[in-house]
Amino acid sequence: MILVWIPAYAGMTANKIMNFFLILLGKLIIKISQLFKIGSGSTWPGHIALIFNDKFIEDVVNRNKNLKIIVIAGTNGKTTSTALLKFLLEKSGHKVFTNSEGANLLNGVASSIIKNSNVFSKLDFDFAIFESDEFNLPLLLKKISPDKILILNLFRDQLDRYGEVNTIALKWLESLKTLTNKTEIFINGDDPQLYFIGSKLSQKVQYFGVETSLMELKNIPHDVDSIFCPVCLSLLHYHQLSFAHLGDFYCSNCQFKRGEVVDFSDIKINYPMSGLYNVYNTNAVLLLLKSLVGSVIPVKTGIQNKWLSEFTPVFGRQEEIIYKNRKVFILLSKNPAGFNQSIQTVNEIIKKPSFVPLSVTSKGKANFLIILNNRIPDGLDVSWIWDVDFKPILDVAGNVYVSGDRVYDLNLRLKYENDAKNIMTFENLTDAVESIVNKTKEGERLFILPTYSAMLEVRKILLGRKLL
Amino acid sequence: MNINIGWLYPDLMNTYGDRGNIIALSYRLSKMGIKSIVNKISVNELASLIPKMDIIFMGGAQDKQQEIVNKDLKIKGKYLKTVIENGMPGLYVCGAYQFLGKYYKEADGNIINGIGAFDLYTESPGLNVPRCIGNIVIESKLFPGVKLVGFENHGGRTYLANKNLAFAKVIKGYGNNGEDLTEGIFYKNSFGTYLHGPILPKNPELADYLIEKAIERKYGKDIKLGRINNQWEEKARSWVMDKL
Repeated sequence: MILVWIPAYAGMTANKIMNFFLILLGKLIIKISQLFKIGSGSTWPGHIALIFNDKFIEDVVNRNKNLKIIVIAGTNGKTTSTALLKFLLEKSGHKVFTNSEGANLLNGVASSIIKNSNVFSKLDFDFAIFESDEFNLPLLLKKISPDKILILNLFRDQLDRYGEVNTIALKWLESLKTLTNKTEIFINGDDPQLYFIGSKLSQKVQYFGVETSLMELKNIPHDVDSIFCPVCLSLLHYHQLSFAHLGDFYCSNCQFKRGEVVDFSDIKINYPMSGLYNVYNTNAVLLLLKSLVGSVIPVKTGIQNKWLSEFTPVFGRQEEIIYKNRKVFILLSKNPAGFNQSIQTVNEIIKKPSFVPLSVTSKGKANFLIILNNRIPDGLDVSWIWDVDFKPILDVAGNVYVSGDRVYDLNLRLKYENDAKNIMTFENLTDAVESIVNKTKEGERLFILPTYSAMLEVRKILLGRKLL
Repeated sequence: MNINIGWLYPDLMNTYGDRGNIIALSYRLSKMGIKSIVNKISVNELASLIPKMDIIFMGGAQDKQQEIVNKDLKIKGKYLKTVIENGMPGLYVCGAYQFLGKYYKEADGNIINGIGAFDLYTESPGLNVPRCIGNIVIESKLFPGVKLVGFENHGGRTYLANKNLAFAKVIKGYGNNGEDLTEGIFYKNSFGTYLHGPILPKNPELADYLIEKAIERKYGKDIKLGRINNQWEEKARSWVMDKL
């Protein structure tokens, strides 16, 4: 077989030649999907590459020895933390690429490599940040040894798809144990099960958390997952909690208790987003950055704070869209812990002195549209809505409209919470959006709480196009 | 009138939104003008609370939590078995349902003893056999003309000693074991089932059955309970059914 000779072919092994073509093909697919607007090409190119070479990811990564790799895992906050870390690293002058939002499986990682490397597998970047979902973390760690791993949290989410929380934790621990001491690990120290994982590792582990003055709960809420002691299986106790099972925990049977965590309470951090969960996300990112300060990030708190104030949320996560002069605020709410945090955040916003309440009705302060889908990215099982505490929303809501694939499940859930509240159901999402917008005066606030696929749909309606 | 609901291990056995069953019972009781008192009975509470209840509910859990519960049931299990035998209405979902059987045989052959309130056993089909996951539709002789709907997610396969005691027949989904079309068990006013969803809000017939039996045992047969308009419950159910 005669190949057109180009200098770069010389010395290429079979694998390298294959990767050359896989990257070329992948880039072509990305171009075509963008040209015909059939998607952003964030999964298919990688999917195909992995079929032909299941070592594609490690092949390319190993050829880029100077590239530092950071992996971010957890149930909630991956996308926000990835975006924030990328933003701060770029501010400090580094070149960073990530796997795009939602594409947090292996094929998404491979696609991001295809997109950002040249055809000779060269990645001209300082950092790669890969977000990984619960299930894929062990698979990814089989392929690559990251420089740093950030583990944000572990909540119940899509039990039908991911399995049970304890099973995942066990798989994570086994997989983290296989990494060398080169990998530094950053773990949420307010999460008893994750803290336990950290204590079992031989690598350098650092813990982040929030200061106890921010932990306002005295009793364990009902969306908890890890309330037994991972050491002796007794019920765990808490001095106080921030949300879900995160808090200042201790076991009264054995010595297991919350250890030292970095909470940045000694310096005033300019938190860029509302909600306690974003204090966690920000502290997590800052702790990781701190490990780079002096080596690759020559920054001080002052500059970091200025940068933090310039960060804008990722789409759908506390994103404000102006639609027909109404301020529409979208808070992705995809599992009990996330939903309960969205609800708390809404209440934080409403309590601010600057908040303008509804003028029409004296009954409520803001209008709400809640959307429940149960497609593959949302999880097929909608049982979890019964673990969400909707009362704080119904207490402050003017109009509550509901929609989505499982609109009547959601309607029933809200009725059983407070059947005096008038809840309007819409089978068609566009009708729901238009109706609730009409109920909201110009300049007034409308909160939309959607599950994942519902968030994509609602943004499409509000922005008139599919925009990731 | 008041009804005491005993919620067993709410902190450990509440993984799949099963709290919705407690919400549904309380909601419907209050609509009927009956006061409901929810008593959480977990590891730190006394087993002697169990006979003082009027309805018992226990949900599903993850493996690790089940280990803790299993230990605690060494004592509470005896009380539970007695009240079930005496006809106290109860609903036992998924993990709880399995606990109430004779035993659970793990993938490696290890046997975990149940409390033996129900004449059934459960087996893990092996680690490489998929779990039974998905929407499930069932029909029960207790509620003629109605199809009940829920969501199941279980690894273990359950086999009844007497199939006539099955709570329902599987129309769509797996049920007890994916083989014999049986779902759950109905034994002396107690229901064991794999249906999450949670089961009671969308299937108000079952919720009302538990309530009626509890009232009957406590206040006699002559009490007439108020009817509740179930249009939203039925709408939620038929909407899911139409999509299947």
